[in-house]
Amino acid sequence: MMKVVVIIPAYNEQDAILNTVQDLKDNAPFVDYLVINDCSKDKTKEVLEENNIPHLNLPINLGIGGGVQTGYKWAAKHDYDIAIQFDGDGQHDAKYLKNLVEEIKAGADIAIGSRFVQKNKEGFKSSVTRRFGINFLSAEIKLLCGTRVKDVTSGMRAVNKKMIKYYAENYAQDYPEPEAIITGALNGARIVEVPVEMRERQSGKSSINPIKSVYYMIKVSIAILISRITTKKVKK
Amino acid sequence: MISTTLRYALLAALALYFVLLLVFIKKKTLLLKYSLLWMFSGVLMLILVLWPTILDWFAKTVGIASPVNALFAVMLFCTLIILVSLTAIASKNKEQVKELSQQVAIQEERIRKLEKNK
Repeated sequence: MMKVVVIIPAYNEQDAILNTVQDLKDNAPFVDYLVINDCSKDKTKEVLEENNIPHLNLPINLGIGGGVQTGYKWAAKHDYDIAIQFDGDGQHDAKYLKNLVEEIKAGADIAIGSRFVQKNKEGFKSSVTRRFGINFLSAEIKLLCGTRVKDVTSGMRAVNKKMIKYYAENYAQDYPEPEAIITGALNGARIVEVPVEMRERQSGKSSINPIKSVYYMIKVSIAILISRITTKKVKK
Repeated sequence: MISTTLRYALLAALALYFVLLLVFIKKKTLLLKYSLLWMFSGVLMLILVLWPTILDWFAKTVGIASPVNALFAVMLFCTLIILVSLTAIASKNKEQVKELSQQVAIQEERIRKLEKNK
């Protein structure tokens, strides 16, 4: 039996976190879960404690990268076979988790829940401008390391034991979703995409403010380029 | 050649600079490790002030019209190096703080669990 843990980064998610956990209990009963409370300023910590939800409390706010990495460290320490990142704000749907796990069991190192593969016409796909940005980053990653990932900013991804260990030690802090793909790919990880539908967030604010999108794009493009230059490529 | 007046002024400034550095190191306001770059820059300045012909040669070699500008260029370069090293120190600090808080979070969860099972 494979041990699977779902890592849920949460910053000020007092209103959404219970629904997220309920969704996991209902639609993915085979997983353990761990909420990473990234020093939330609201009542997230109290909500987690009152409802007996397994969680870590970070003493300072590390942001999404440092938060998720804490989860990978915990998963490595507790010898999990598969770790899955899952947003705490209600955007992700737990019924797709078994598809991600299947892909890992079938031999993938990283399985990304993707809004843009196959014919899933339904669900939230984000705005046209943002999709343009995602396509641009996707093309950049393809160019730099030969791996085609369509939904590079998806925060829903499963990884196997090898990648749990790798991400526990090395996880991008600034723009972790696209950067983790490139560092994973350069370390010989086999990456697959699994079609999923996503919802619009139930509450809280996106970590990417739409007004700052262009600035975000420029920074991420440069960050990806730099991580390509500074990460040593490992033969598959 | 830079003027003799300027050389005296620079010597006085450098003397003050070294005294300040030593005082800071003695008070442990400044760690010795991080003050070395400042020391080296000071020594470099001192050499250039004591033997200004080096500056004349340097200015001519890299195509700076006036030796005093070469002096400014050297100072600016030293400052840049020190600034980059400061950013490096800040980055390392950030990395260490991140690592610490992650360990704190993991240990805190473990303690919570142990206390519950007591």
